[in-house]
Amino acid sequence: MASSSKPLAKTGGSRVRLAADIGGTFTDIAVFDDKSGRLTFGKALSTPQHLVDGITAGVEKAGSDYRSAGLFLHGSTIAINAILERTGAKTALITTEGFRDVYEIGRINRPDAYNLFFKKHVPLIERALRFEVRERVRADGEVLIPLDEQGLVALGERLDKLGIEAVAIMFINGYANSDHEERAKAILSKRYPGMFISASHELSREYREFERCSTVAANAYVGPKVRRYVGEIDRHIRGDGFTGSFLIVQSTGGLYESEQAQTQCVRMLESGPAAGVIGTQALCHTIGIDNAIAFDMGGTTAKAGVIYKGEALTTGAALIGGYDQALPVQIAMMDIFEVGTGGGSIARVEDGALRVGPQSAGAQPGPACYGLGGEEPTVTDANLVLGRLGADRFLGGEMQLDVGAAERALARVAKPLGMSVTEAADGILRIAATTMSYAVKGVTTERGLDAGDFVLVAYGGAGPLHAVAVAREIGIRNVIIPGAPGVFSAFGMLFSDLRYDYVRTALTSLEDAPFEQIEQVFRELEEEGRGAIAATSVKPHKITTKRALDMRYVGQEHAVTVDLPMSVFAKQDRKAIKRHFDEMHELRYGTSAPSERAEVVSLRTTVTGLMRKPPQEKIRKGGGAPPKAAFSGKRKVSFDGKFRDAPTYRRAELLAGNRIKGPALIEEHASTTVLMPGDAMTVDAYGNLVIKVAGAKR
Amino acid sequence: MAKKTKAKSAKRRPIDPVITEIVRNGIIAVTEEMKTNLMRTAYNMIIYEALDFTTGLFTPEGETVSIGIGLPMFIRGMAETVKAKIKHFGIKNIKPGDIYVTNDSYITGSHLNHFTFTLPIFHKGKLAGFSCCMAHWLDVGGVLGGMTTDIFSEGLQIPIVKYSDRGKINQDLLDIIRINVRLPPRAMGDLRAQVTAVKTGERRFLELLDRYGHAAVMASIEEIFDRAEAAARARTKTIPDGVYEAESSLDDDGIDIGKRIPIRVKVIVKGDEMTIDLTNVAKQVRGFYNSAITTGYACAQVAYKCITSPTDYPINDGAFRSLKVIIPPGRIVSATRPAPMRLWMCFPMTIVDTIFKALQPAIPNRTIAGHHADLVGPSFHGFNPKTSEFFIGTFGPLGGGWGAKKTEDGVSATVCLNDGDTHNGPNEQAEAKFPIVVERYELIPDSGGAGRHRGGLGIARTTRALTNIVVNTQSDRSKCPPWGLDGAGDATGNAVAFRLGGEWKTDFPNAKVLVAQLKPEDAFRISSGGGGGYGSALERPIDDVREDVRQGYVSAKAAVELYGVVVDAETFEVDRGATERLRASRR
Repeated sequence: MASSSKPLAKTGGSRVRLAADIGGTFTDIAVFDDKSGRLTFGKALSTPQHLVDGITAGVEKAGSDYRSAGLFLHGSTIAINAILERTGAKTALITTEGFRDVYEIGRINRPDAYNLFFKKHVPLIERALRFEVRERVRADGEVLIPLDEQGLVALGERLDKLGIEAVAIMFINGYANSDHEERAKAILSKRYPGMFISASHELSREYREFERCSTVAANAYVGPKVRRYVGEIDRHIRGDGFTGSFLIVQSTGGLYESEQAQTQCVRMLESGPAAGVIGTQALCHTIGIDNAIAFDMGGTTAKAGVIYKGEALTTGAALIGGYDQALPVQIAMMDIFEVGTGGGSIARVEDGALRVGPQSAGAQPGPACYGLGGEEPTVTDANLVLGRLGADRFLGGEMQLDVGAAERALARVAKPLGMSVTEAADGILRIAATTMSYAVKGVTTERGLDAGDFVLVAYGGAGPLHAVAVAREIGIRNVIIPGAPGVFSAFGMLFSDLRYDYVRTALTSLEDAPFEQIEQVFRELEEEGRGAIAATSVKPHKITTKRALDMRYVGQEHAVTVDLPMSVFAKQDRKAIKRHFDEMHELRYGTSAPSERAEVVSLRTTVTGLMRKPPQEKIRKGGGAPPKAAFSGKRKVSFDGKFRDAPTYRRAELLAGNRIKGPALIEEHASTTVLMPGDAMTVDAYGNLVIKVAGAKR
Repeated sequence: MAKKTKAKSAKRRPIDPVITEIVRNGIIAVTEEMKTNLMRTAYNMIIYEALDFTTGLFTPEGETVSIGIGLPMFIRGMAETVKAKIKHFGIKNIKPGDIYVTNDSYITGSHLNHFTFTLPIFHKGKLAGFSCCMAHWLDVGGVLGGMTTDIFSEGLQIPIVKYSDRGKINQDLLDIIRINVRLPPRAMGDLRAQVTAVKTGERRFLELLDRYGHAAVMASIEEIFDRAEAAARARTKTIPDGVYEAESSLDDDGIDIGKRIPIRVKVIVKGDEMTIDLTNVAKQVRGFYNSAITTGYACAQVAYKCITSPTDYPINDGAFRSLKVIIPPGRIVSATRPAPMRLWMCFPMTIVDTIFKALQPAIPNRTIAGHHADLVGPSFHGFNPKTSEFFIGTFGPLGGGWGAKKTEDGVSATVCLNDGDTHNGPNEQAEAKFPIVVERYELIPDSGGAGRHRGGLGIARTTRALTNIVVNTQSDRSKCPPWGLDGAGDATGNAVAFRLGGEWKTDFPNAKVLVAQLKPEDAFRISSGGGGGYGSALERPIDDVREDVRQGYVSAKAAVELYGVVVDAETFEVDRGATERLRASRR
């Protein structure tokens, strides 16, 4: 892998960490120097043809280089884009005889219930490349029909002739007994070392054959591309003198070795958004907050994740692509709720109603005010017309915005509704704020939590512009805008830990739960996790394990994940487990049935290798009033339909302890924080903008 | 049913389009969250995986404000139930803390499994609306499997009663339910889930009222109704005026085997209004395939929404003001007491398809060929040898083929029209729970009707018993398969087959095999029909036929026989000369 001829020193003795987050438009870099305690950032345009160039440019902008780094942390949209854009490998599926169509049939639902022109998911592997092999195991793992190895060998030859680059293997009940999947993979791997071969049990050991099939198909489909990509970056950075560890961020926000990322590729699907939540968690730890919502608003979407009692909430599966045509991926992921509202969201009039999004102008042509040919009004245009964005301050003044173009675009919706351009702009922002508030509520109410009790941590290019409006919709009283909100995901990566998640479906009633067996399964999984961490080139300072059970009442279909202390397993304390489950059920659904029996569906464990965290740097202290240098002028800004003078500040000049009352705007390179009338902001010791929202419901 | 349109008064109330849009998003969110909470809390697969439920928000008069759709064919059932409850108690006697319940089939329009809970929402002491939730309980008593011939054999009937009277729970009611159902803990669990759902609706709607004010929210809802009406009228106007008729048949009622049941529908379009006349739909039948009049209205409304406002949300009553429905009592979809209704959901789907068929000459671009039109969801029961416990097993609906359209192929393997965001149950889940093994689960090649655009494919599942089980299949549209339109071919119908003692038996007169006794190693295969095609199969592009053969959706044999395309089954090479000659000879 490494092109360097020198033997690899694991962290190169260096204490510089580089984090690179590649997004559709920008590549963000965060650099932390342990020795000096200095944190720097770089932002460069992404270079889709040769992504590593964008990273290199960003690293230079951040004033660093590969040679001095001991850790290179990376998140990328390469895997998810390969799925969404259908640019993956020529992939075949091998499955149990009689089950070739599981992947195409899916879950048969028709979300667009009245639309006769509805669509269904399109598998990543066409039917002609889905093959069956004779074998069968039962739900309890017993082998009903042994694997037809000869048939498999013959099939392998056929795949080879067809020029197949990647193979996904999914056998029915492979979650309960993976022997056949393992054997099939071994046979093919030996004969065709160049093929990317992936078996479902390596990624998911939960029942639900379609979801497992879709997961392994996605993994195989993106595999060759991810493998090339990771290899290319590895060669490139090592060629430039990097001698440390190269780790990749998973969708859980945890890190794994780049070698592992080359086989378990779907684990990195949502690495960027997950890292943002990890950054929020780190911020919460630093300033002593337990419950926060990580609110990330960019050009096309707004996303919300949750920190509850100091932990980032994860989920066991996610859907890739729009709901009606989604491809499920059944692996641990950060629980992130997304809505199609971003700076580029287009406003339009439909049946006499004003609608905002989910269509987006994206980066090309972009909002009308970018002057790149966009003619439709967007959220960004509304922000400009209302004075919340400064025409000459965008991206630190690097890009001049065209107010006239924004007004012309907004007139397209204002006229038919009989509104002024300002009224239309104001309406667009209010509608956008309510829509985004549902994303935030969605991620909390599904858990039985009340969003109003949380702190809203807002980042992404557009997050700080809308944060206080969204907070008002939900009844949130406290908003925090972290430093460098535009590169927050890269910042979050610096705080990631090594992490391995395992799940095993193991149906049993709680009363009859065989604790010895359960303990053995947990130990095996945890050993596997420790082994994976030990194989990583970087040594964590501590390894922790966390266990959970997916449980439900007997007869119930849906299970909830119940986090459990290790002690209940040691003591085989069924009563305590039941109590934890009842409490969780009560929290999430508002009902519980302590007198009813419960059953266990799956065992979950997370093995974490804790990395030393960069300490968060304090900024210089100042008085209550911001220094003169911070004040950058005044402009007319519209709030509640009235234009009024609002002062503008340079964020870089603000000092700890400074206070600013709304209305005001605080500007920095890639974003602007809006304070509405009555809002009160204080700069905390770390430079975060801590905002008390006025008039929130409680 | 269809409200007479009030002539628009010249002076309109001032409308804030921004608040209206915010309220529109808000009420959709209310019913979506009710849906999420019900689903996650539910005890049975039919609710959780199959999403056989509907949640809704209603005006104080019982008009539908928003339905969080699980089950499209329940579009009317809940509103009519809310109205019946208002009428039953009298608006003055409706109090905060009340929750009403019923499963009366002749009110909900459907079977007794549909328990329907309604909670009056009071805002600052004033009735502001109702949240309501219908969900399918796995068992409500009655005979187990087999045929029923009246409502009394179908289980427990609960008239409109209070589950909660000003906050006080009706324990007697719970005791009555518990003693009448086979799986009391599940019934109680589903009941709790439904109560959670209506309370969620209450909480969220109150938040909306608090945030934007009662007057603004109510004015916005009125505006949403008016806009939905205007949109439906505008789109109805694009349908040429005329009287459109079509007919079709159902297999039988499960008692008079082989006696076809005729359906004749008449659609009258005039200006911006449509009348759907179901007078000539067959009279109610002896077997359990009836539904009550709210379902007859639902047939018309579902068809109308699909044609005029398929993707407009929220689903509300404004969209149906321009629709008139004529349906006398005593038809299969307006059955009267004590008609049996256990399989209520089956026949109405074919009525809706027949309405689409009637409209084909008028709006060829907006209609669809026939679909498999059945849940194709057999049930099986027995005692689990591992636990000795009684079980009732299902896989949820099978899904099947959908009809082709003038501009595109039909979709394969998708749930029927009665259901919307409804999921099947994973095979692995069923195998983990029940003493069965699924032998095969596959698309059926050549099941889609041949046409310029091909119909979608059906699915077949073969299930082997590992212990003694009793199987009930109840599907229709076996001998009256989904039709093609505009010269296209029909699909294959729904079908059953049994393997008893190693011998397959496939020659059933219909797809209704009740109380079949299976021993270990015996098996049953249930197949769903495909969708009908659209346009002449001889006009399907040769490359499309070749691709279908390559993927195995169409056999090489069918390619020749139905499409006139000569394609090699191994190499997929097309003999273009032979194809041209063959096609020319058939035209």
